[in-house]
Amino acid sequence: MAKIKSLIKIKPKKYSDGEVVQMSLMVMHPMETGLRKDKKTGEIIPADYINSVKFEYNGKVVTTMNVWESISTNPVFSTYLKIDGAGELKVTFTENTGEVHEKSTKIKPKG
Amino acid sequence: MKLSTKTALLLTLVCSLSFASEQFAMSDADRAMYAEMLENNPAEMDIEVGGELFEEYCNGEAGLAKFLGVSESKLPEYIAGFPRYVEKLKMVAGLDQVMQAIMKENGHEPLKLKSGDMFGMLAYAKSLANDVPINIDVNANKHMKEAYALGKEVFETKRGGRGLACLSCHNSAVEGGILRTQPLPNLGKNNAGGTWPAYRMTKSSLRTLQRRFQGCMNNALLAVIPIGSPEMNALEVYVTDMSKGSAIAIPGLKR
Amino acid sequence: MLRREFFKTLGVVAAATAVVPSMSFAAGAAPKGPNEMSYEAALKAVTNGKGATPSDKVSLKVPEIAENGAVVPVTVEVDSPMTEKDYVKTIHVFATKNNNSRCAAVHLTPANGKAMFSSRIKLGQTQDVAAIVEMSDGSFLSAAQSVKVTIGGCG
Repeated sequence: MAKIKSLIKIKPKKYSDGEVVQMSLMVMHPMETGLRKDKKTGEIIPADYINSVKFEYNGKVVTTMNVWESISTNPVFSTYLKIDGAGELKVTFTENTGEVHEKSTKIKPKG
Repeated sequence: MKLSTKTALLLTLVCSLSFASEQFAMSDADRAMYAEMLENNPAEMDIEVGGELFEEYCNGEAGLAKFLGVSESKLPEYIAGFPRYVEKLKMVAGLDQVMQAIMKENGHEPLKLKSGDMFGMLAYAKSLANDVPINIDVNANKHMKEAYALGKEVFETKRGGRGLACLSCHNSAVEGGILRTQPLPNLGKNNAGGTWPAYRMTKSSLRTLQRRFQGCMNNALLAVIPIGSPEMNALEVYVTDMSKGSAIAIPGLKR
Repeated sequence: MLRREFFKTLGVVAAATAVVPSMSFAAGAAPKGPNEMSYEAALKAVTNGKGATPSDKVSLKVPEIAENGAVVPVTVEVDSPMTEKDYVKTIHVFATKNNNSRCAAVHLTPANGKAMFSSRIKLGQTQDVAAIVEMSDGSFLSAAQSVKVTIGGCG
């Protein structure tokens, strides 16, 4: 499986239990629409885009996103998360080619 | 023909300037929305990769500080003075060229100045000086004085088929105007020196100031000056000096 | 007078081509891709033909003028308590004139705390961006705004 660079961001960086924070997934991805031609060869570049993103917090699915090729290159997907104890935030994203990728981060509320 | 073409282009420039400002000026709210995007800048991923390479090839901050002969605690301030004259390299150099030299010392094949990995490393290294005001000193020594003078010359010299210089669009007479829907910023006030390397939305990638200069030259039909050449480093010195005192904020986000 | 006409009258059309930056995606060019779906069809499918009611509860933030059609910031926030009884089930984002009008369908839960989705989308041309929101009671709310896409700038 090809490794794709991704990053999970929690904003603000410091938060406490019960707080609602912004969680974002950033991915280095071309998000090819399948409509674009290679400038040199003139051939259509095949569609290659992320089509779903799933945020799981301590094993519970919080948000799933179905997305399409209209999302920009190097996409960012953000939504909120209500902090409910320490644990792990796992993000799984899938490409239209069927490849599945995973990224996770620790959730550590202060105090 | 040549003269009439130039006249036509000049007229076109003036024409589009006035038209555009009426029809297509972005609102402050729109600009604020784009400014918010800085908080989730895709270039952060390039910088993360750049940081890993910097660690691997240059022994990180310790390696850079050692090569430059400064303490690690003084490193951010020192970085905020680049491009600067580097005695070991006998030239006014960018951080990327310093890192190339370190890579060589460490027995690694130096990354090409124009490679994406080098852009990432450069952005990482410069981000070590984030929040530090630019402190470039163009009078520090004769090398810097010469570089500043050369940079000014490059900035102001009209070249190419259209006889354009950087100064043609970036001067006080047209700054604040809008050309082809884009405002012409004052490079100093816009902190060009402190916000490059930046993520360029048009290119969907991390680009450096010198790479941006190249794109500009290319589009204005000027012969493109190589990255890292004395003229290019001089141009960066000249433009960076315009933003002296502004805080470094890497990565920037540009159209 | 338009710039293009101006160029033509002066016979320097060749020069004009040099200043037209290449857009990275071609709107309206064939083939239209495997996912082609009009906004009308997508809206019908999403709301089961019921349609959606414009509502102040849905806040759609997009620029009036996009700096760059390839990267248009979009944020949808919905005023909702996000409790088990009353929450936002799905936020749909549509680019009404893209070949595939569907951009995102974001399925939320009360564990989100607040209802929001934010991303960046590609717009092939000037068009409306629409947010269709499905509430937990089965109702659909909407908001839309026009985004002007310009081709401009120097590179």
